[in-house]
Amino acid sequence: MSDVINPPTGAPLLEVRGLSKFYGNIIALQDITTTVEAGKVTCVLGDNGAGKSSFIKILSGVHKHDAGEMFLDGEEVSFSSPRDALDRGIATVYQDLAVVPLMSVWRNFWLGDEPKRGVWPVRWIDIPKAKRVAKEELLKMGIDIRDMEQMVGTLSGGERQSVAIARAAYFGARVLILDEPTSALGVKQSGVVLRYIVEAARRNLGVIFITHNPHHAYPVGDRFLILNRGQSLGNFAKEEISQDQLTALMAGGSELTELQRELSKAR
Amino acid sequence: MAEAVATEASAPGEAESAVPRRDERLVHRGPIQRLLVRPEIGALIGTTAVWFFFWATADVFGTAAGTANYLDVAAKLGIMAVAVSLLMIGGEFDLSAGAMTGATAMLVIMLSKQVGELGGAGLTLFLAVPLSLCFALTIGWFNGTAVDKTRLPSFIVTLGTYFVLIGAKLSFAKLFAGQVVVEGLDNSTAYGFWRNIFAGSWIRNDHFWEARDTVWAGLAIAGVALVVAGVLELSYERASSRESKGLVALLLGLAGAGAAFFGLLNTDGVNANFVLGLLTGLGILVAVIGWGRWRYESLHRRGPFSVEPRAARLILIGLACVVAAIIVAAGFNSDSQNEVGILLNNGFARSVFVVGLAVGGVLAVLVAAGKLPVWSPLIGILICAVPAVGFLMTRQTARAVVFVGFVVAGLIILVLASNRAAPHSAPAGLAIELLTAVVVVVLAFFVRSESTSEKFRTQLFTVMLLIGLALVSSALMGYLFARRSAADAAADKLGRRMAIGGIVILTAATVVKMLFSTQAEIAAAVGVIRYRVSILWFIMFAIFGTWLLMRAQFGNWIFAVGGNKEAARSEGIPAARTKTTLFMLVSGAAWLSGMLTAFRLNSVQANVGDGEEFEYIIAAVVGGNLLTGGYGSAAGGAIGSLIMSMSTQGIPFAGWNSNWRFLFLGVILLLAVAGNNYVRRKAEQSR
Repeated sequence: MSDVINPPTGAPLLEVRGLSKFYGNIIALQDITTTVEAGKVTCVLGDNGAGKSSFIKILSGVHKHDAGEMFLDGEEVSFSSPRDALDRGIATVYQDLAVVPLMSVWRNFWLGDEPKRGVWPVRWIDIPKAKRVAKEELLKMGIDIRDMEQMVGTLSGGERQSVAIARAAYFGARVLILDEPTSALGVKQSGVVLRYIVEAARRNLGVIFITHNPHHAYPVGDRFLILNRGQSLGNFAKEEISQDQLTALMAGGSELTELQRELSKAR
Repeated sequence: MAEAVATEASAPGEAESAVPRRDERLVHRGPIQRLLVRPEIGALIGTTAVWFFFWATADVFGTAAGTANYLDVAAKLGIMAVAVSLLMIGGEFDLSAGAMTGATAMLVIMLSKQVGELGGAGLTLFLAVPLSLCFALTIGWFNGTAVDKTRLPSFIVTLGTYFVLIGAKLSFAKLFAGQVVVEGLDNSTAYGFWRNIFAGSWIRNDHFWEARDTVWAGLAIAGVALVVAGVLELSYERASSRESKGLVALLLGLAGAGAAFFGLLNTDGVNANFVLGLLTGLGILVAVIGWGRWRYESLHRRGPFSVEPRAARLILIGLACVVAAIIVAAGFNSDSQNEVGILLNNGFARSVFVVGLAVGGVLAVLVAAGKLPVWSPLIGILICAVPAVGFLMTRQTARAVVFVGFVVAGLIILVLASNRAAPHSAPAGLAIELLTAVVVVVLAFFVRSESTSEKFRTQLFTVMLLIGLALVSSALMGYLFARRSAADAAADKLGRRMAIGGIVILTAATVVKMLFSTQAEIAAAVGVIRYRVSILWFIMFAIFGTWLLMRAQFGNWIFAVGGNKEAARSEGIPAARTKTTLFMLVSGAAWLSGMLTAFRLNSVQANVGDGEEFEYIIAAVVGGNLLTGGYGSAAGGAIGSLIMSMSTQGIPFAGWNSNWRFLFLGVILLLAVAGNNYVRRKAEQSR
């Protein structure tokens, strides 16, 4: 499957230039520029209120941008709805996860696009196929769920994320947007999810990984966009920046040094 | 990162090749645990209990006449309950559903009455019936769209529709017909055609079938055999090699049992009956063990015979309970069975009741003030309950209640004892289960000798003997063969198919028995037994609803919008359209129910159906549907309506004032909700 996703075209998969968004007189996002390439992970870092959510809402078609340009495969686009973005291959896995806890794993996996048999109007879900494919796809991501009839609510947080990621990847996503997938997880579970991110990139998807944790972002990321109060603090390729620089930049650089000095004085 | 990729790359390959025929990571669940996580299982157990209760207390209940009666009530309620269940799983309520049944019924009459007659529009019913469906669907669309656009709770929106419908029904009836009842459907054009569809009936007395009982017995035996084989297949480890000796034993056992059973049917002597009955049982036992020998792995480690002190204590307590039951039942004089309040002197009872009231109230206040633990007012309720319940009981009832209570407790304790002993020592498990079987057989003979009711002495006696036989077989099977410890998909599939096939055959057997009559029955029967076509509509609708929910894409959407609307929406499910369709389904069902009423009665009161919406909701909840949406089943709604109709019809059958049905319904609702809660928590833990 990995050989059919995102054949090389020369242009980056997704590119934004000078993207801005205003809510009335509030500047939510100003002049953001970055690229997402197939098989690479672009990390969007920022503290709370930095504009991360506005950014992904534009990319996933929930909001329209007010200024700047967005290119998909080098062609300028503007999404009219989440469905539109999804149809063009941009899938978003939100922080509060689009899974239904009281439904089984396979029903969640296929949610909204169930495999069907029969002739309209008598059509039914091909349950054996649905279960088989769901199990295979989850295994491809390295996720091994025992019973496809298990309710998603009984899975661990990391496993739930993985179901959502595998689903997005299976349904023809070319660009996968992950909104804070590790923020609610423990150390071990976060590690599991980070592996899924690498796995998704290995399958030639372009991944946008939104997080406020540079320790999660640096090991998996290929490109880093740092946001602060709606402004871009920089858009770096991995070789241009070290983890310490990234951390310092994220925390507001000089402010952090100031804080360290104050804390050491207090002791 | 390169490392991470490398390890990741190898992991999926390994996992794929490591999926064998048996998935060793799956903890094996027996057939019973698997049944217990179904949403409607609580209701199914409740249905059995309610059926048995009224079968025991009311003569007519278990007969074809009683069945026709409660099924008719269940049909009208059930069509709505199935639709309301789907809506409830989708996360919404429809309070206008009850009023809607009356509204469509009225509308079809008004549309089809002759012009010139008060209020008639003079349409043929070929137009009026579909037009009233259009009306219902439009109101359903309105409900759904209003809920979606205003974002108000559906509770409020449909409450509004409910009042609008009630007002419209009354006022238009007054305006056009001059009274609150519209009548005269039978004068409409094409009446006969539609009457056959909505109010036809099958008169059982007209359909003789002399071979009915033979067919019924054959089907029943085949069905039970299939269910048993299926359950065994689900429970025991398949043998690595089949042993043909077992097959020979199976066939010999079956032949022997068949011959003895045939002899049993053709003798009348008491002694011959016992001998042949025993031979039948033995034949079945040989056949079951032969089947096991043929198909299943033998148990290798049985362990020494040892009963731990805890299990031994349980055995003693269990036996004591059974002995107590027998002493109480034999010692009680069962004369004067109709005298109510025999257990308590009335003056004394009154004072106890008054004390109970005071204690309950005072303790409740103290709990509210934080002085006492939360359960203490229960003391007051229990004190009140003694005289309240005691007043209702005849001597006969009290005797039955005490007997059944002790017996059930004793048997449960014995089963617990064997469950505790069996894992450590197979011989001890065998001994305790055999002991339980002996107890059941002794009780069977006790019931036969003590009971005054023909029904208990023949039917219940036979059933208890069969239970004894089942216990003996299960004890021997457990001793001889290994229970399954790992999942086995192929065996599960086969076992499930056999069990489901058996249940289908058993259902067919019941249907044959209920639908057809023999000459002897006609000679003895009183009155005409009539099955309404509404029952057929109900069954079809329940099957349709279940199929829709479990197999169709729309069913997946229903679960999704009820379980997590935002998730559904972000996955591209048209949530508003799904919910609106559900509202239309409910009002469509209300139309069907309205047609059934209109063509049955030919005239409709303006208040028909008003207030019934809560009954639909109760039936859906009793059937295991979650009030907050996202979980449940359509079949559950159907089963819930069966429980409710059995109760409302069984109470007058048993000769009690039918007002007691409200009390009964309240208790059932509370028990069902508590039970379903428990089942759902189980389901969430381990599916």
